[in-house]
Amino acid sequence: MRQAPVNRIAKDAMKVWKITGAIFAGVLWLITIGLLVFSYLLEFTYWIGVAGILLSVLCTYFFVFLLPKLRWRRWRYEVFEQEIYIQHGILIVSRTLVPMIRVQHVDTKQGPILKKYKLASVQISTAATTHEIPALLEEDASELRDRISTLARVDEDDV
Amino acid sequence: MFEAKRLHPAAILFNLIKTVREFLFAIILGFISFRDDSMLYFFLITAGFLVIFIITSILTWYRYTYRVEDDELRIEYGVFIRKKRFISKNRIQSIDLTSGIIHRIFGLTKVQIETAGTDTSAEASLSAVTLAEGEALREELKAGKKQQTDDEDATSDQEEQTNPSTTISFKRLFIAGTTSGSVGVIFALAAAGFSELEQFIPDSFYDNTLEWAIGLGIVIIIVMAIFVLLVLWLLGVAGTMIKYGNFTITKNDDELFITRGILEKKQLTIPLKRIQAVGIQESVIRQPLGFVTVYAEIAGGSLDKGEDFSSILFPIMKREEVETFLETFLPDYAGIQHELTPLPKRARKFYILRASILFLVLTAVIGFWIPSFIWIPLVLLAGSILLGVMRHRDGGFYRGGQQLTIRHRSFSRNTIKMYHKRIQAFEKKQHKLQVHQKLATMRLSIIGRLGTGTHFAIKDLEESHTDELADWYSYRN
Repeated sequence: MRQAPVNRIAKDAMKVWKITGAIFAGVLWLITIGLLVFSYLLEFTYWIGVAGILLSVLCTYFFVFLLPKLRWRRWRYEVFEQEIYIQHGILIVSRTLVPMIRVQHVDTKQGPILKKYKLASVQISTAATTHEIPALLEEDASELRDRISTLARVDEDDV
Repeated sequence: MFEAKRLHPAAILFNLIKTVREFLFAIILGFISFRDDSMLYFFLITAGFLVIFIITSILTWYRYTYRVEDDELRIEYGVFIRKKRFISKNRIQSIDLTSGIIHRIFGLTKVQIETAGTDTSAEASLSAVTLAEGEALREELKAGKKQQTDDEDATSDQEEQTNPSTTISFKRLFIAGTTSGSVGVIFALAAAGFSELEQFIPDSFYDNTLEWAIGLGIVIIIVMAIFVLLVLWLLGVAGTMIKYGNFTITKNDDELFITRGILEKKQLTIPLKRIQAVGIQESVIRQPLGFVTVYAEIAGGSLDKGEDFSSILFPIMKREEVETFLETFLPDYAGIQHELTPLPKRARKFYILRASILFLVLTAVIGFWIPSFIWIPLVLLAGSILLGVMRHRDGGFYRGGQQLTIRHRSFSRNTIKMYHKRIQAFEKKQHKLQVHQKLATMRLSIIGRLGTGTHFAIKDLEESHTDELADWYSYRN
C-alpha cells in the first residue's frame, strides 16, 4: 500500500462530473433566484439573497471547475490476480484492498450522462462493502467486469 | 414427522392480536371522530370488523400446515392465495425458540427458522407450537444437518462427553443491572416525564407542595432523593433481570446455544462458522470494576432479531475469566492479547481535537453571548478532552499469525479479535495533516447483520504500521 495503483480512469470522467456538478449548481441558482424574487416581492431583507448568490458562486466554482479535476487526478485503480486496489478521495485519500476471493459480484452501470461519453462504471460488491470504479471506457468496463468475475471464481476454501 | 400438522390453536389468538394491532390506529381514530353522534354505528362497524378478523385468523390458522419430508421443512399457507414454502435442512442456519408471556401460559413456543443470506423471505416462523413439539422439530431439522457434516469428516468419532455450559449467577446479574447505565437513562426519563407532568399540575398545588417540602427541611428532601434513586436503581436491575435472567450458554459440536430471559424466554443458536469476530466490551462504569461483556459479530440474521444484544455471548464476567470462557466455548478466539501496539504519541492531539471540537465551539459561542453560563460548556469541554485522551490511550492493534486484535473506544472500550479470512476489505485513509504527520487511519470491514457489513476504524495509526498491516492483509505475497 506504499505505492499508488497505476491505472487512471477515463479522462472524460471530468466532463461527466462537471455536468453533474453543473446540474447541482443549476438547482442552487434556481433556488437563489427564487429567494431573490420572494424577498423583492415581500420587501424582505436582501441579505438572504446575497448569501444565496455567494453560496451558489462558491458551489459552482467547486463542483464544476475545481473538484472534478482534483478528483480525476486522484482516482487510480489496479486489478491484480489476487486483489483489487483502489485509490480515491480529494481531501482524505483512501486506498482500499479488496481480495478477489471476497468478491461476491461485479456490475457495470451506466447512467445517461455516462452513456453520452460512452463510459460505464464498475461496481464491486463483497459481503460487507461495495466499491465503485467510476467512468471507465465502455469496453474497458465490461472487460474489467468479466476479468474480475473470472478471477473471483476461486474456491472459497483456499484461505 | 411426515404428516402435515397445524400450529397450536393459540396461534389464532396471535393472528388476531397481530391484525388488531395493525388496525388499532384506525380504530382509535374512528373512536375520536365518531365519539359524539354516531357512536352506535362506530361500535357496529368495529364489531363487524372484529368478526371478520376472527374469521380470517381462524382460516389462516386452519390453512397453515407444516411437515418435515424428504429432508425439507414444507410449509403450506395462505387463505386466498395458497403458498408453499420448502426449506431444505442443509440450508437452515439456525432454529430459535422464543416464548413470550402468552406462550408460557399455554406452554408454547415460537419457532424461527433462519437461512443464510439476508433475504428475509427465505425464512419461516411458526408462531405457536407446544414446547415439546418445538424441541422435537429442532432436533429433527438439525439431525439432517448433522448427518451431512458427519459424512464430510467421518473421522470425528462420537465422543461421549457433556457439552460445556455456563449460567449467569444471581450476584453477577445484580452487578450487571447496577452498572448497566440504564439507571441513568431511567433517571433522565423520569426527570423528563416530571417536567412534562408539571404543566398539568395546578400552580397553587405545586407552590404549596414546594413550600411544604422546604418546610420539612433539607434532611427529608435528601432522604426522599435517595429513596427515588433507590427505586430507579431497582428498576434498572429489574430490567436487566428480565432481559438476561437465567442467561445460559451451551456449546454443542459446532454451534453455541443461548437461553435467556425471565418473562420472555429466548433461545438462540449461533453456528460457530457464522461468527466473524469476537469482542470484549468494557463500559466506562464497568471497566474500573474489572467487568466486561463478551460479544460476537455474526453474519446474517433477520430484521426482527436485529437487536444489538442478540450477539451477546455473556452479559457480564470478570476480565480474568474471559480467557477460560473463550477456551471453553470458542477455542479459536482464545488468547486475546491485551498488550497491544499503541498509537504514536503525536496522534494524541488529533484525538483530543476530534473529541472536543464541538464543545470548543460551544464554549466560544456561549462565552461570547451568555458568559454567566460558561461553566456548563467548560465542564463538557473538560470531559471531552479527557475522553479524547482515553481514546488515544486505548487505541491499538496486535497481529499474531492469521489473527488481528484491535482495540478502540467510543465510550466503551472494545477489544475485537478477528481472522484474516474474515476481513472483507482493508482501507487506509489519510488526510493532508495525517500525511504530514505520517499517520493513517485503518478501516476493516467484516460481514455484519442485514448485509450492511460491520466496519472498524482505528484512527491515526503510525503510517508504517498501517502499511505493514496492509502487506499482511494483501494476497499478493
